Amino acid sequence: MNRKPYQQPQAATWWFKNHFYRFYMLREASSVPVFLYAVWLLLGLFRLNQGALEFNAWLALNTSGVGQILHLVVIAAALLHAYTWFQLTPKILVLRFGNFRVPDEWVMGGHYVTWVLVTIGMLWLAITG
Amino acid sequence: MNTFKRSNEPIAWSLFGAGGMVVAFIIPVLAIITGFLFVPDSSLRVYELIDSWLSHWIGKVGLFLIISLTLYHTVHRVYHGLHDLHVKGNDVLMLVLFYGTATVLSVVCAAWLLVI
Repeated sequence: MNRKPYQQPQAATWWFKNHFYRFYMLREASSVPVFLYAVWLLLGLFRLNQGALEFNAWLALNTSGVGQILHLVVIAAALLHAYTWFQLTPKILVLRFGNFRVPDEWVMGGHYVTWVLVTIGMLWLAITG
Repeated sequence: MNTFKRSNEPIAWSLFGAGGMVVAFIIPVLAIITGFLFVPDSSLRVYELIDSWLSHWIGKVGLFLIISLTLYHTVHRVYHGLHDLHVKGNDVLMLVLFYGTATVLSVVCAAWLLVI
């Protein structure tokens, strides 16, 4: 590229000045604990392959005091993500049937209803086995 | 003459979008389950439950999608988040570091699921 367009200087702390930018950064940062949780699940899979006692040790770490506090962080991060994600879906998922456009509230509501069903279903599976 | 380079972004964004669904729908309840419901005991109930789920191909595919899509989703966000924070690195190196990590861990996940 021969063009060298002028780039206005921007401080690395640009996002700190404004409530909306700070919330945006919080949303982006929520992916870090969720990433670590996915890696932790992978470690659990490794422990499962090692055997029952090794897997039980992994489970014990999850349900220890520190483990549960870290789980709360992951739950909070994933819930923040879910809320912001469902706010966005009507903007991306635009459904039209002829002249009828499915209202944003229906698209969002559908996601929330599905979320409740998935959550209840998985809790039921985990409890009843 | 077409000198445009095809962007990788559509592939990265599809994985990001699918992973966003997984993180929104599955991760909150899964973290409640692993942190608070799956308490280990000497009867090995939880171990046998998960072992039976993952012995079935549906369980393997399910856990693979949960882990790998979550990884692709989160590395995509951190990759772009670092750009927002003005953390700069070699373009190719950054791509390999982030999407490469998600890819390698996904392959490891698939391998560990297949040997169960």
